[in-house]
Amino acid sequence: MITLRGVTKRYGGRTLFERLDVQFAPGRTTVITGRSGSGKSTLLRLCNQLERHDEGTVALDALTIPAGLPHAEWHRRATALRRRTGMVFQGYHLFPHLSVRDNVTLAPRLLHGLAPDAAAARAQQVLDLVGMAAAADRFPARLSGGESQRVAIARALAMEPEVLLLDEPTSALDPLSTADVVAVIRSLRARGITQVMVTHNPELAQSLADHLIEMPVR
Amino acid sequence: MPPVIKRWPLSLLALAVTGAAALAQVQLPERYRIAGQLRWGADAEGGAPFVYTDPAKPDAGEVGFEVDLAQALGERLGVPCRRVQAGYESLVQVLDRGDCDVVLNGFEPTPARRPLVRFTRPYYIFQQQLSVGPDVTGVNGLGDLAGKRVGVLGQSASHQLLREQYPTIEAVIYESSVTAYEDVVNGRNAGSLADLPIARALRPLFPRLVDVGEPFGEFYYCMAVRLGDADLQQALDDAIGQLLANGTLERIYRKWNMWVPAEQRLGDAAVAAMFTRDHSGAAQDGDAPAMAWGEVWLLLFAGALRTFGISVTSFAIAVVLGLCIALLRLHGPPPLRIAAIAYVEVLRGTPILVQMLLLYYGLGSIKGMQLPAEVAGVLGLALNYAAYEAEIYRGALSAIPRGQREAALALGLTGVQTLRHVVVPQALRLSLASSTNDFIALFKDSSIVMVITVVELTKQYNMLANATGRFIVLGLLTSGIYLLMSLPLAYAARRFERALDRDAA
Repeated sequence: MITLRGVTKRYGGRTLFERLDVQFAPGRTTVITGRSGSGKSTLLRLCNQLERHDEGTVALDALTIPAGLPHAEWHRRATALRRRTGMVFQGYHLFPHLSVRDNVTLAPRLLHGLAPDAAAARAQQVLDLVGMAAAADRFPARLSGGESQRVAIARALAMEPEVLLLDEPTSALDPLSTADVVAVIRSLRARGITQVMVTHNPELAQSLADHLIEMPVR
Repeated sequence: MPPVIKRWPLSLLALAVTGAAALAQVQLPERYRIAGQLRWGADAEGGAPFVYTDPAKPDAGEVGFEVDLAQALGERLGVPCRRVQAGYESLVQVLDRGDCDVVLNGFEPTPARRPLVRFTRPYYIFQQQLSVGPDVTGVNGLGDLAGKRVGVLGQSASHQLLREQYPTIEAVIYESSVTAYEDVVNGRNAGSLADLPIARALRPLFPRLVDVGEPFGEFYYCMAVRLGDADLQQALDDAIGQLLANGTLERIYRKWNMWVPAEQRLGDAAVAAMFTRDHSGAAQDGDAPAMAWGEVWLLLFAGALRTFGISVTSFAIAVVLGLCIALLRLHGPPPLRIAAIAYVEVLRGTPILVQMLLLYYGLGSIKGMQLPAEVAGVLGLALNYAAYEAEIYRGALSAIPRGQREAALALGLTGVQTLRHVVVPQALRLSLASSTNDFIALFKDSSIVMVITVVELTKQYNMLANATGRFIVLGLLTSGIYLLMSLPLAYAARRFERALDRDAA
């Protein structure tokens, strides 16, 4: 379970949030909403340490990252944390030089030491899950926005994360593609995968959330 | 007849006649009289004792026995002689183009040159001297140097002598005798063969060199004019004759410590007529020496192979080194970042020619640092082009969106894995077009290694063209070979780029 204890984050001279305490319940889908600039994406990025916090502690079970760690130690713990969490970005960020299959298998091969056969099998499995198995040999440039986002979800799932972090996963998509991606998120929720999603779309938030967090406006 | 005249000794009579001749000026062709000067082509680089600037007396301007000779000639011809700088190996072309009127530069009437220019009577007779390094033992002459490297001045009598009489010796061609001696001192070559006047003049610079055996052979310096300038040749012949008769030549040679008894033979009719052409002969196409095309192809092919090898090897090193420098500059710790910036600025901001000479001759003067010429050439090109490649890669690496890096880090990849598998592969694709351009540029720039004695395609062309005068045919042939090598490369790069575009479109 990801826990934020007394976490403060400042940007420039501005405090985004102060002494925040949050925990994301396992097996549930938590949705964070709020106005632009309320710090909801930053909160999500703190969960896998793409942003560092100024005070407090971010923890995933026993793996704790208190603020102010020396860089090398922070780096070691942050990398360990990231290997146990998956992240999906608003802009997909698929690797354009790799096929869909290689996008999905890159991290498992490098980090879990998966052999090519086993990696391909895992790719097949997660691509099936998001309905993109037929596109394994295609390159990202040949995918629509909705397809790209589904591949990005598969890429995160291939590392078998304990928590899936989704940062505005449908904001860049047209309504049809949005429906496809929402269907995937819904199916993951049904499978009991822990998800934390940031969205500024209240209807989406309402329809997907087991637990809803509204960021206060400061 | 008055008795007083009767009593004049014969020698005095001769003196009176010579004196009269000395007063009479030689008739210079009208076009040169109108021009008001005669321009003589010579190379002052490593030019002692012919024409050079004495580093001890830089204010004295150019000195040398040929400077004195040109002045004396000018007095005979009634116009001042002005020197035109020209590379020793291009003297014939400079003369042909009309950039000078006469070549006066320790120029030997080699068989290869004879059909290309019109030679005057010899004005100096000299011998060859072989010199070896201080550590060389058991060498008594050229016969003991089979299979060894011996430095010679390109297109010189020494070069010709090695080629014709000692084909088993590896002749290493230099554009300056100074660098030829330098490579003997630093151990790259076993010895150097040079005209005796050069050997004597440069000896103070290289006190550790050892002369082997006595000077040998008999060779001649002549002036050269264009084939169509028979009247100028005649005028110069007359002027040389007068300078010989009135003792000016002997005075000049004694001043430069170059007078040897053999010079007395300069006045012999047989010596004077030795290289004189049939005066009716104007320049004719048929005069160009016959070319052995089989050998020409073979030589050009060997040169092309060397150019290809040097280019490919040095570019491969430049790519790896350039990428490392770019990565250090963007992601390295601060001291290495500064070092990377300094590397790029220094290597880009100084001429590659200077870098090449420093690497070969500069480094070569330090004991144990004598890189073989080809290694120095590859290294020089690689180090220089690495700076340009580094800038290309730096631009490409910076152009990869931040999201790519974040996505890789979010998956748990380390910084190095992120660079290795995500950022660098994309940057390399992005820089492919610029890199290909750079490679084609390096391919052509590789001819610069000729300054450190490597005979690649351009140098081979230069030597063949100088030897045969067929600049156009050989030049087109050489350009064709360059194109044959670079076009497929450009084509392959374009195809590869298009394939990448298809994936990325």
